[in-house]
Amino acid sequence: MPYIEFKNVGKKYKMGEVTIDALVNTNFEIEKGELVVIVGPSGAGKTTTLNILGGMDSVTSGKVIVDGKDVSNLKGKELIKYRREDIGFVFQFYNLVQNLTAKENVELATQICKNSLDPEDVLSKVGLSNRKNNFPSQLSGGEQQRVAIARAIAKNPKLLLCDEPTGALDYKTGKQILKLLQDTCRKERMTVLIITHNTAIAPMADKVIYFKNGMAERVEINQNPTPVENIEW
Amino acid sequence: MKKALLKDSLKEIKNTYKRFISILLMAFLGVGFFAGLRAAAPDMVDTIDEFYDKQNVYDIQIISTLGLTGEDIEELSKIENVENVYGSYETDGKIKIENKEIIAKIITLSGVNNPILLEGRLPQNAEECLVEENFLKANNKKIGDKVVLDIQKTTNDDGEEIDVLKNKELTITGTIKSPLYISRDRGSSNLGAGKIDYYMYVTSDNIYPTDIYTNIYISIKDAKKYTTSSEKYEDYIEEVKQDIEQIKEQRENKRQEALIQKAQNKVNEAENELNTQKSDGQSQIDEATQKIEDAKLELQNAEEELNQKSNETNRQFAQAETEIQNAKNLLIESKQTLEQNENNANQKIEELENQKIELQKSLNQINSELDETNKNYNLILELLKNEELTEEQKAIYEAQKTELEKQITTLTQTKAEIEEKIEKIDAGISSIKQELETAKSTLETQNIALTQKEEEYNSAKQSAYSQIEQARIKIDNSKQEIASSETELNEKKQEFDEKIEDAEEKLLDAKEKILEIEKPTWYVLDRNGNVGYANFIQDTKSVENISNVFPIVFFIVAALISLTSMTRMVEEQRSQLGILKALGYNSFQITQKYIIYASCACIIGGFLGMCVGFVLLPKILWSLYGMMYQISDNICISFNFKYGTIGLILICVCILGATIYTVWKELKNDPAVLMRPKAPKSGNRVFLEKIQFIWKKLNFSSKVTVRNLFRYKKRFYMTIIGILGCTALILTGFGIKDSVTKILPNQFEKVFCYDMQITMKNSLSLEEKQAFIEEINKDNRIEKIAEVYMTSGEVANNDNLEEVQIIIPEEEQSLDEIININNVKTHEKVSLKENQICLTDKAAQLLEVKQGDSIILKESDDKEIEIKISDIVENYVNHYVFMSKSTYETLYEETYNSNVLLIKNVELSDEKKDELATDIISKKEVAAFTDISSFAGTIGDMMTLLNYVVIILIVSAGLLAFVVLYNLANVNISERIRELATIKVLGFYDKEVYDYVTRETVILTIIGIILGLGAGYLLNAYILGTCEINILRFTKTIDFMSYIYAAGLTIIFTVIVNIVTYFSLKRINMIESLKSVE
Repeated sequence: MPYIEFKNVGKKYKMGEVTIDALVNTNFEIEKGELVVIVGPSGAGKTTTLNILGGMDSVTSGKVIVDGKDVSNLKGKELIKYRREDIGFVFQFYNLVQNLTAKENVELATQICKNSLDPEDVLSKVGLSNRKNNFPSQLSGGEQQRVAIARAIAKNPKLLLCDEPTGALDYKTGKQILKLLQDTCRKERMTVLIITHNTAIAPMADKVIYFKNGMAERVEINQNPTPVENIEW
Repeated sequence: MKKALLKDSLKEIKNTYKRFISILLMAFLGVGFFAGLRAAAPDMVDTIDEFYDKQNVYDIQIISTLGLTGEDIEELSKIENVENVYGSYETDGKIKIENKEIIAKIITLSGVNNPILLEGRLPQNAEECLVEENFLKANNKKIGDKVVLDIQKTTNDDGEEIDVLKNKELTITGTIKSPLYISRDRGSSNLGAGKIDYYMYVTSDNIYPTDIYTNIYISIKDAKKYTTSSEKYEDYIEEVKQDIEQIKEQRENKRQEALIQKAQNKVNEAENELNTQKSDGQSQIDEATQKIEDAKLELQNAEEELNQKSNETNRQFAQAETEIQNAKNLLIESKQTLEQNENNANQKIEELENQKIELQKSLNQINSELDETNKNYNLILELLKNEELTEEQKAIYEAQKTELEKQITTLTQTKAEIEEKIEKIDAGISSIKQELETAKSTLETQNIALTQKEEEYNSAKQSAYSQIEQARIKIDNSKQEIASSETELNEKKQEFDEKIEDAEEKLLDAKEKILEIEKPTWYVLDRNGNVGYANFIQDTKSVENISNVFPIVFFIVAALISLTSMTRMVEEQRSQLGILKALGYNSFQITQKYIIYASCACIIGGFLGMCVGFVLLPKILWSLYGMMYQISDNICISFNFKYGTIGLILICVCILGATIYTVWKELKNDPAVLMRPKAPKSGNRVFLEKIQFIWKKLNFSSKVTVRNLFRYKKRFYMTIIGILGCTALILTGFGIKDSVTKILPNQFEKVFCYDMQITMKNSLSLEEKQAFIEEINKDNRIEKIAEVYMTSGEVANNDNLEEVQIIIPEEEQSLDEIININNVKTHEKVSLKENQICLTDKAAQLLEVKQGDSIILKESDDKEIEIKISDIVENYVNHYVFMSKSTYETLYEETYNSNVLLIKNVELSDEKKDELATDIISKKEVAAFTDISSFAGTIGDMMTLLNYVVIILIVSAGLLAFVVLYNLANVNISERIRELATIKVLGFYDKEVYDYVTRETVILTIIGIILGLGAGYLLNAYILGTCEINILRFTKTIDFMSYIYAAGLTIIFTVIVNIVTYFSLKRINMIESLKSVE
């Protein structure tokens, strides 16, 4: 049984009188400890998938199973609990709390989780032990994204969701972040899901899901994922 | 202006209508409150002005202590600018309804101070009257019913008692409200319980006294043009008042002279009459005395005569008695002779008897011999008869017979002889006896004659003496009669004397009274002399004072709120600013958009605010005041252009200023900088982090909160100021209420502890007064009495002048428990020092003097004295000067003469208290009576009004708090929406998200509340300082509970806003977190 399963998931948005089908009958599976990349053009349904997986949105039809639990029908507090304990989220724009230091940003996450990791350990894992007391504004974009990743990992989630983690970063820094994510996946046996429109990074994944027109059009499994250092774009 | 920009501006409004509305709302509130509150007081004044103009209310009123005359009216009419002079008669009367006794003020309809007819019709004749609406309601009467008035008679100028009203039974023809009684206070009366319950109007032809008035009302030419109580009006009236003051003395003198003249005439008349009566009476008495004298003389003569007569009679009787005595003696002598003769005769008789007995014996012998002889003879005869007898025998017998016959003859002879002798003796005896008898009978006759004579004498004597006796009784009676008529005369004399004495005394009194006819005092009063009006104007002043302060708080808050909103807006549109700048628009053009935006909000909001404020606030205030004042149902609402413009300008300056400031601050940057997203506000270490031992103890969320607090400084100040303002306003509201409600208890429990004040008549002599005080003292309903001299005066220092009541106790100790003279600072009792005074605190403040300073004290007699203040004493209502008796006597060189009794009664029920009041008022020594509770009631009414103002304050403060907090919460959320969405994505529960945000708000609120309580204390002190009525001293302490209420209310508002915030937070879409930074 797969760790994460999308079963015939459909999602409709009502925009006034128009109904938009964001997801139509989407199916895919992710195994535990896999690094998955979802790629596709804008409007293909990537973000909707992310939102649904991240517990930020609900499905219109179908089922989403995470670690044997149906999360598609969670409501209110249960949904929050799911987000709180099972999901780590890495945003495109880091979304660090400006008023908190790196360490404090991590603590912001850890203080609400039961099985959280030690913030300082996590920060040293992402290579920021020397900057832990700096405020976001004192950090570079890459460093900020590392903090964001640390914040997500520190919760010890079942699933690490990354929304265009390199979108706001330069090439080099972006690569470093991807490396960090790949390493995290390998070393920590963390299930990582990266959403990107950049197909170039697909080779680094264990599984690549191609989205198009609100559907997981194709799932490709890389038997030998390319280390990030070797990817160029 | 470029069309595109205008379009952009309008679109902006449409798109961000919430923000627009929030700014508009602030402008609305700011302008509305400012304009509305500011306009309220003038509107109130306008309303009363219109009302007064319409009802032709006087501008100047004159009251005199001795009435006013037609001549006065004439003289007053001559004064410049005087339009009309109306004489009016006003008096108090009692109306009995069931067992209630109602005191009514009776006013004549005289063309001035016209009452408004509410129902029914105006009276057409002297049998009709108009009453208050409440009178009907409270007494279950209706139009057409009759009331019977009981009015004390009045004395006319001639000193005669006359009725005031021609008709005392009046038919109610309608209900009215009078412009003279706009408040509930109807004034005091010398009748009943000392308080007037209702007023009523009667026609002037129902008034008995002619050409004499109790009040003169004057309307001033063109005075209606000015708004009443305005400076112009007051100045204008003051001019005429000055003119009146100038003729015042002359009129007062004239009146006094006239009264004295009349009284003098009367005295003279009375004197003449007294004199004639006196002489008449005297002559009558003299005549009566003469009569008595004559009667006495006559009596004396009669007595003398009687005595003479009686003597004569006595003498005559004495003579007669002697004669009788002589006769008696003679008679006794004769008796004795008679007795002797009798004895002699008896002796003789005895002798004769003896002879007789001898003779008898002889006789008896003879008789027996005779008998023998006879027998023998008879025997012989017998024998002779016998035929057988021989002749011998016969012859013997014959012989014998002859013998015997011879013998018989002899015997018979002797017998005859003896019998003759016996006869002779018997005759002798009987003649002796006869003789004796005759003598006896003579004596007897004599005796009888004497007795008769004596009897005669006695009866004569008796009758004579009884006659004398009768005469004497007669004389005695006459004497008694004379005596009684004499006493009668004496009595009458005494009576007469007394009468004359009385009359003389009365005359003397009257004469003295003439001397006592004081110069009447004219009181020239303007409208401020009317309690209701004065209170009302004072109230409008309070409203004005409050309207000076409160809107400022609103403005500050409105400006801050707009500043936040506009800053937020400008910041949100940084990139647009950059684009416009890059396109080549200059700063002014770019700013235009925001100016249009802000000014649209300001002007629309401001105008709406004006419209609502000008109408609503005065109306609300009016409806509140309407409970206290009967003026008009509707307030004159005017669109007060001045205040409206000021408000609008102020709010525009605040909001536009804030906008322009923000835009220009941003525009200083280069377009490129502007087009890049603004670097998020960097985090900063806060001061607290340096204090490690505290910082370390804080848990994570506390740390975050502390950081956030200092991160958004603008919001930090905004929230604190908003909450501070709100708390301060609420606290001030409660503070005013506290102060106001404490005035009465302070004054009448802490300072004045007496219950009733009796003013005694001036005319009382010292003894009368003493007796009266004794009498009052005996009443067991009365606990304590203090005798004081109370007079009004003025205190002055430099240009400051205040009216005061001067209280001089007879004995300082007697004031204990009646009036507490306590030092205002130490609250310790002070004693009255020699040649110094104690001045009450508020007066000292107004005069700008302190303990030890000297002030000018002027008693009513205009004598000015400079005197040192020994102590400033605690007091809350009116101003007082306390002075010792000896100080008064030395300073004024006058004898102390107390005129007021301050009475503290034992605990009494209201009914019993009224009874006591009625008892006291009915005493003839009482000139005036004040029940402190009624006095307290008047002020109490004033206080109730302020309470309404307080309610308005609290409500508006609440409104403000709500707007501020809501606005801030919204800004807070919108500014931090990414952050909040992020932590939601991180899996914060709703409650945690709420805490994350509102913990700051709560802390800021707490800080705001604490500071607000402090600020409220100051604001309260300031407002109380500015709206404190001159005669009142507000306590500036705020009750502990008020702090609690103020804090509590603010917390409640915060909680409400937080609840709203909670739902807003819940609605935050997490997708926001995915968006890029703008």
